[in-house]
Amino acid sequence: MAGGLPHPVLWSTLLQVDQVTIGGATVEFKHVFYTWCAMAVLFSLGLLVRGGLKLVPGGIQNVFEVIIGGLEDFVVTNIGEDGRKVFPLLGGIFLFILFQNLLGLIPGCDAPTANVNTNAAMAVFVFLYYNYQGIKRWGPGYIKHFMGPMWWLTPLMLPLELISHTARPLSLTLRLFGNIRGEEIVMVLFFLMAPIVGTIPVYFLFLLGKVLQSFIFFMLTMIYLKGAFEHAH
Amino acid sequence: MFFNNWFKINDKKYLDAISTAGVIGLHMVSATVVGLAMGWYLDRWLGTKPWLTGVFLILGIVAGFKNVWLDSRRLLKAQDKEDAEKFGPKD
Repeated sequence: MAGGLPHPVLWSTLLQVDQVTIGGATVEFKHVFYTWCAMAVLFSLGLLVRGGLKLVPGGIQNVFEVIIGGLEDFVVTNIGEDGRKVFPLLGGIFLFILFQNLLGLIPGCDAPTANVNTNAAMAVFVFLYYNYQGIKRWGPGYIKHFMGPMWWLTPLMLPLELISHTARPLSLTLRLFGNIRGEEIVMVLFFLMAPIVGTIPVYFLFLLGKVLQSFIFFMLTMIYLKGAFEHAH
Repeated sequence: MFFNNWFKINDKKYLDAISTAGVIGLHMVSATVVGLAMGWYLDRWLGTKPWLTGVFLILGIVAGFKNVWLDSRRLLKAQDKEDAEKFGPKD
């Protein structure tokens, strides 16, 4: 795994799903397995909260209400009332990436976001989604978003905007991948230097790093959606 | 402990500022890389060896700087809003 360093122990290795053979081709399956783990955790937490929904929240419902309410306020102050329409996706992305990242801190688990494929899939989805929302909102007039402030600047601005829009999924992918993969590598290194004891201090640093990375992904998605929603300058 | 503050809503402001600042560097690089890659593949496709690569590289760098400018404007705007809350609106 992490940069050729052996991960001490992985559940996926014990379950023998590191690689699977689909239609004769052997493919890497670890990150898919751990993505499913994160999904299972999220689904069961969601069902648990929904099952015990109370008017006066307590315990786990409280935590979720604080996180989701806070994020919704943040989105609505930034995008405006349109934000409520896309909030389920934004909140979902935040929680999904948060749990995927935090999975890397659990012994025997590997963060699925430390594999570039997971991130590329999410970044391409975000790219398609905000363009879809923009086209849905403005119709053919969405092209105005790419043409700059004045009509005679169009020949210059069109390639510029095209490049900066194409760069978005790339930077989303690489940022998340680089940060999480780097953290995984450092964690394995610390574990090799001083098992258990050495990893405890970096846990706190990486907890911050992982929350920050999922927030960055969420915030950038929000900014892109805002750009697609607001009127072209 | 700072853990208690993580889920507090008022601190989204700081998280927002840190995120925007952290994003700036890669935004510039990725636009440059995409410009270069576009020019490279267009050259290979159209057979105009060095020209389109150079043009698109420059366009990519300009797009990167534009991204940096937009990000810093966003940071400054947040700063202005905070100042306005503290000291009253600017005249």
